[in-house]
Amino acid sequence: MAYLVQPDYVKYVCSCGQMKPITNLYFCRHCLKIRCGFCICHEVDSHYCANCLENMPSSEARLKKNRCSSCFDCPSCFHTLSTRATMVQPRQDPASGDAKVENKQPKKMYYLSCFNCRWTSRDVGIPDQPVASGGWPERVNPFANRFAQLMEYYKAIAQQEKQEKLDKERKKFAIRGNYITLTDKTGLTGAMARNRAGMPSSESTSSAIANFVTSQATEEVDELPDNYHTREVNLKMITTMPQRLASPEWQAQQVSRLQPIARPLSVKRSQRCRQCDHNLTKPEYNPGSIKFKIELLAFYHVPEVKIISYETIKPGVTSALLLKLTNPTAHEMQIQLIQPNEVPEIEEKEEPKNIEKSLEKSLNLEKDMSWKSVVERKPTLPSAIKVNNPELTFTLAQRDDAAEYDDDSHHDTNDIILWRKSNKLALRLQLTTDESAKAGLPAVAVIALQYTYRNTVPPTSTQPRDHTLYTTVTIDLGIVSQ
Amino acid sequence: MTLYEGIALIQEKQAVVLDLGADYTKFGFTGEAAPRCIIKSEFWCPMERRYKRVYDYNTTEELYDNLVQMLHLLYFRHVLVNPKERKVVVIESLLTTTQFRETLAKVLYMHYEVSGVTWWDTGRACAATLGVGTALVVSIGAREAEVTPVVHAAPLVHAIQVPPLGMQAVRVHLAALLKEDNETELQLDDNVLEDILVRTCFVPSRKLAIQLASEGCNGVRSVVCGGAGMSVRVTGRARALAAEPLFERDRDMASLPDAVLQCLTQCPRDTRRVLAENILITGGGAALPGLKARLAHELRHLITVEPYKTQLHIKTFKFHSSPCEDNVCAWVGGAVCGGADGGGRAEPRDVYLRTRRLRDWACLLHNTPPDHHHHCP
Repeated sequence: MAYLVQPDYVKYVCSCGQMKPITNLYFCRHCLKIRCGFCICHEVDSHYCANCLENMPSSEARLKKNRCSSCFDCPSCFHTLSTRATMVQPRQDPASGDAKVENKQPKKMYYLSCFNCRWTSRDVGIPDQPVASGGWPERVNPFANRFAQLMEYYKAIAQQEKQEKLDKERKKFAIRGNYITLTDKTGLTGAMARNRAGMPSSESTSSAIANFVTSQATEEVDELPDNYHTREVNLKMITTMPQRLASPEWQAQQVSRLQPIARPLSVKRSQRCRQCDHNLTKPEYNPGSIKFKIELLAFYHVPEVKIISYETIKPGVTSALLLKLTNPTAHEMQIQLIQPNEVPEIEEKEEPKNIEKSLEKSLNLEKDMSWKSVVERKPTLPSAIKVNNPELTFTLAQRDDAAEYDDDSHHDTNDIILWRKSNKLALRLQLTTDESAKAGLPAVAVIALQYTYRNTVPPTSTQPRDHTLYTTVTIDLGIVSQ
Repeated sequence: MTLYEGIALIQEKQAVVLDLGADYTKFGFTGEAAPRCIIKSEFWCPMERRYKRVYDYNTTEELYDNLVQMLHLLYFRHVLVNPKERKVVVIESLLTTTQFRETLAKVLYMHYEVSGVTWWDTGRACAATLGVGTALVVSIGAREAEVTPVVHAAPLVHAIQVPPLGMQAVRVHLAALLKEDNETELQLDDNVLEDILVRTCFVPSRKLAIQLASEGCNGVRSVVCGGAGMSVRVTGRARALAAEPLFERDRDMASLPDAVLQCLTQCPRDTRRVLAENILITGGGAALPGLKARLAHELRHLITVEPYKTQLHIKTFKFHSSPCEDNVCAWVGGAVCGGADGGGRAEPRDVYLRTRRLRDWACLLHNTPPDHHHHCP
C-alpha cells in the first residue's frame, strides 16, 4: 500500500534488507528476487530536454555540456523563458542615401521573457535576435584563459614526471659501459620514439613549464569603497544565493549581470540487476513516451498487501486485523502466511561448473561481487506483535480484467477469509501484542508470505517453471495505546 | 550513436571532481574551469519525509545511505553520466574523519563501482590554482576556517590551524544581532539568514571597525529584507558586525588572523617569510565583501604587537587571487590537477578491492619513514 503524500503503511523487505513500499520495488525474473533502487545498478539511458522534449544523443549532450540549445530558464526565478516577437522598424541609415523600399518593411525581432517574474533579456541589455531560436550570445568563463594556461602547465609537469620515471627505470636496467651506442648518447632514439608515438617532444614540455607565469602576490587587497557603509542598499539589484549558484561559471552578484540559463537536460535511466546483469527497466527512447520496453516492477509480480482496517493495539491484548491480498500475475497463486523467522535463508547455490565458467575464471572475467558485502544488510524486524497464522493455504485466481463482469463461482468464505472477488481476497487475522510492548511506540506487525510464482521467462530445460517464493511485509498499525 | 560511444571508450573518460562541503557540494568534470553544479549538500529523504543533510548522521550505515543518495542525485540529476568505470577526484580536508573517508571510498568503489579515486586535500588543491608551490591557504568554509601552509606542494600537517570560524559562526551571530535589533523572537531559517548575510552584510575595514566600536553603528545604513509573509529590519549594526566573530580576540587569541599567525609560528623558520608573501584567502566565506581586506589589515596590525612581534619577523604580507570564484577554488584546483595527470595518480579499483585500505597521513602504516625500524614496505 503506497500513497503519494502519506506515509507508507505497508512495506516490503527487499532482498538487500531495505524496507520500501511495493511501488518502489523491482522484481528480477532471472534471480526471482525483489530488488530496490539501493541494490540495483542505475544507468543513464538517453538525454532529453524536459521542456521541448527533444532527444539528444549522448555525444552531442557531452559537447553541449548537458544543456539544451533552444530552451532557456529565467536566471531570476528559474521558470522557463518564452520567446517573444516584436516588430521593429529598421533604422534609416543616413550614410546609404535613400533606402530601398524592402528595407522599410518592419522586421520581426525576438527577445526572451519570463512569464512568471517578468524578467526579459532586454533588462540586462542582450540585443534582440532576428531568429526565433538560437543565436543568443554565449558567454565564456572569464577565467577560461588562465585555466587553460594552468592546465597546460600541469600537463607538462605530469609529462615530465612520467619521463623522469621512465628514464630512471631505464637507467636501472641499462648495462653500463661497453654498449652505449651513439644514438643513445645523443638521446636521438628517445626523441624518435616520442615522435613516433605522437607525444610532444621534451623541449616543448620544458618550454611550457618555462613560459608559465605563476600567480603574482600583491600587497594590495581589494578594499571596499570608503562610503560603502553609508550607501543605500538596493536589494532588488543584488542577486540571491540560488541565482548566483545557478550559473557556477559567473555567479553574478548584480542583477544587471544575469544571463539566461540554457536549460539543463534530463536523462531517462535504465535499471539493471547487479546479480545477473539483466535489465529491470528500460524506457522507450522517445522522450514524450512514459512507457517502458522492459518493466519488471514488483507491483506486477508480488502479491500486494493492503490494510482494510485494524483494532487498536494494546499491550497483552489480542486484536483483529483485516487485510486485502491481490494477485497481480496472470497465473493462479497459492499463498500461505508464515512467521517471518520461518522464511528459509536463501543460500547461494554453487552453479554447476561448465567449460565456459572455468574459462571465465581463468581469464579473470568472473563477476565482481564486491558490492554484495556493502549493499546487503540484515533487516531488523520488530517482534512485539505476533500474527497468529491460520494454518491455511489459499488460492488466488489470476488477474483477469474481464472478471468483474462474471459472477464469482466459488465463495468459500469462512472465519478467516471474509470475501473473495476475482484475484483479491480479504483476510481476518488475529494479532497478539506482547505484554512488554510500550505504549506510545509505533506498532508494527510483520508477516511473511509464501507464494507460488510461475516464471514466464522462456525456460531452459533445467529450470523449473514454478517456484515457491517468500516475501516479508511490515504493516504499520499506528502506535501502541494504553 | 553507439559508434561514437565506442570511440569515446578508447579515450580515457573524463573524470569527475567531487567537493562535498558541509553546506554546498561542488561537482563537475576535470579539465573544466567551473563545476557543473553547486548545490546544497542535502537530498530528499523519502523515509523521513524531509530534506536531509549529508553530514546529518549518527552511524556509519546512515552515512553510507546519505552518500549513496547524494551521489545518485549528483550523477543522475546534474552531471548525467554513468558513475561506473569513471574516475573520481575527491577534494577533502586533511582533517576529514577516517569514518567519513572510508565510507565515501566504500560508496564510490563498491556501490558505484568507479574505476579509480584520487584524493586531493583542500590546501594543495587551492594552491594549485595559483601555479605556485608554496602558499599559505586560508580557506573559510561553512563550519570552520582552515589555515594550511603548503610548502613545495606538500601541506605541513603539524601547522594546520582549524578554528571553528566558518560561515555558520557568522550566521549564528547575525541571528543574535537581528533578534536584539528587532526585539522579537525571529524564527529565521538558515536559508533566509544566508540570504540576508550575502546580500546585505559586509566586513568593515579595521579603521572603520574601530570607529564603529567607539561611535556606534548609527552611521551605517539599515535595510529591510522582505520575503513572503515576513520582513526583517537589518540594522546597520547587524550589517557591519555580523562577521565580527571571525576577528574577535579574546584571551585565547582564537581569532582568524591569530590562527594565521600561529600557523606561521609553527612553520619552519625558513618558510615563514615566503608563506607570508604568498597568502591565498579563499573559500565561500571569503566572498563576503571586505573580508579579505579586513584580514589583511588585522594581520598587519597583529604583527606589530606581542607575541608575534618577537616570534615572527615578518615585514610584508602579500596576497594572491585565484583564477576562479572563491567558493569553488578547491574544486578548480582538483579539476586542473585531475585533468592534467589524466587519472594517473588515482588509486585503481582493483587495488582498493584487494587491500580495502586507503592511504592516509594519519596512519603509521603509510607514514613511517623508510629507514625507520617500524616501516613495513
